[in-house]
Amino acid sequence: MKSVKAKQRLNSCILYLIKIIVAVIMFLPIIWISTGGFKTLTEFTSSPNIIPENFTMENFSYIFKSSNIWVYVRNTVLLMLGTTVGTLLSSSLVAYPLARMDFVGKNVIFTIIIATMMIPNIALIIPQYIMFGKIGWLDSLLPMIVPAFFAYPYNVFLFRQFFRTIPRELDESATIDGCSRVQIFFKVLVPLSKPTYATIAVLSCVFWWNELTQPVFYINSDQWRTMTIALMTSYMYTSGNAFVINWPSIMAAATLMIVPPMLLYFFGNKFLVGGIKTTGLKG
Amino acid sequence: MSNEKKKKRLSPRKKKDTLTAYAFISPWIIGFACFTLFPIFFMLQVSLTNRKLNGISKFIGFKNYMNMFKSPAFWNSIKVTLLFTIIMVIVTTVWAVIMALLLNQKQRLNGIFQFCYFLPSVIPSVALAYAFRTIFGKEAGLLNAFLSLVSGKNVSVNWLYNHSTVYMAVFFITLFTYNTGQMMLIFRSGLSDVPGELYEACDLDGAGAFRKFFSVTLPMISPLVLFNAVNGCVSALNGSFALLYPLTGESGNPDGMTQVLSLLIYKEAFSNMKVGYACALSVLLFLLAALFGTALFSLSKKFVYYEN
Repeated sequence: MKSVKAKQRLNSCILYLIKIIVAVIMFLPIIWISTGGFKTLTEFTSSPNIIPENFTMENFSYIFKSSNIWVYVRNTVLLMLGTTVGTLLSSSLVAYPLARMDFVGKNVIFTIIIATMMIPNIALIIPQYIMFGKIGWLDSLLPMIVPAFFAYPYNVFLFRQFFRTIPRELDESATIDGCSRVQIFFKVLVPLSKPTYATIAVLSCVFWWNELTQPVFYINSDQWRTMTIALMTSYMYTSGNAFVINWPSIMAAATLMIVPPMLLYFFGNKFLVGGIKTTGLKG
Repeated sequence: MSNEKKKKRLSPRKKKDTLTAYAFISPWIIGFACFTLFPIFFMLQVSLTNRKLNGISKFIGFKNYMNMFKSPAFWNSIKVTLLFTIIMVIVTTVWAVIMALLLNQKQRLNGIFQFCYFLPSVIPSVALAYAFRTIFGKEAGLLNAFLSLVSGKNVSVNWLYNHSTVYMAVFFITLFTYNTGQMMLIFRSGLSDVPGELYEACDLDGAGAFRKFFSVTLPMISPLVLFNAVNGCVSALNGSFALLYPLTGESGNPDGMTQVLSLLIYKEAFSNMKVGYACALSVLLFLLAALFGTALFSLSKKFVYYEN
């Protein structure tokens, strides 16, 4: 009896050890980035120390003084809010009949939605670039925000999965009470689906806060740059003939960029696992 | 039976529902027509012209495609894209399953562990790329310093510019991407749905941990593995740009070894200003994505376990 307990103890210790090793590996880049922001450029490029020897705040003051950081923040926030509001509204509306109603062509539409989930955005970005150029939307946030109001297949799918887990009897009793389909959606489904709205909102905010590809294609001028492009292009300067990357400033800016998604994660944590419903996948 | 049903006229309720349903779905229909269907046809059309970035274009037939199939850079990028996508999907899915399994073992401090495991995926890919450019750097790189410390010898490898190490380095970095974290969350929720009785039955039979994983856990979460693999393919094709562009540049250093198709498309369209040619490349990327999708779904018929 004792040996069984000792064995369990040992197993539990080994498990902890593995968990800690994985945690250290996963957390390493964050530590590297956040301590890097407090190093001087000389130290950053000459020693691999994790803890900075000469602790300095100059990178942070440099970011706020010598770049348009507030413009970049404004653009990123606009982009993030616009796309998230758009996709929450439109994707949940589209998911509702797919989860709850019988109608002609339902299977065809659902198949197309699943199929479009598999088209990578980047395959269509060049024709979209020309198209948005023709209607004069280039160098603005519109090419990214407007499509969000017309439902993303992936989010439609997540909403549908969740709606299917809500008992249909609720719809039926609401119908008997005289509710229309629209009223059922807003009065029954939306309040019950808060975890899914929160999950998709968090995922969408994090995605757009960090998105690089589409802004790189669509945005040219400094006044519409997002933080991600700024991180790539704003912290380099030429000194004589050499091209110098100001690494510690990039790390400092990256540190600041990690904070909002981290807070969002804290806030949305309790929804994140429960909000992604997978039960409907099995059938 | 189904024939009989079809012949029956639609009930008034279903007729009314169909109208309401299409009203709800209309945003997607408009979006699909404007932002997916139209660009597909437009892309096919532009790929037959020598359109430049400034908009000047002339019909040249299949010349872009012929040039493409003769170009070594194109074949190289197809090879790199296939390799990158397949390995990245495998590496990130396996890693996500491992992390989810670890977190599924109920122990104290699990909240902190989940925080540590998920947090890297909220780092913007640019920041991740720049962090690893320095961690894997030759001078003052963290990895070289660590290896020197462990081995006692002076290690100075330029991990991202060395032909034999670049893939290892890049695939290691994919463990920290957004996609891995999202997969982990999905597996987490899937694992918590696996009925506990199945494990108890295993315990009675005296099955070990590995046996349990392969005969209970894996079959039960196989639909999720498929979902994540499909999704991971799209993310690999899509997200490779956001990771590799700041990491190894549009030419995919060293010597195009990491130049996936999306980087080549960007380079052709914006550095070489050949939009027509870039569209022809996009058509190929589109077909490649379709190929991956079909392959995964036909595989799934063989290996995925569905209840009932």
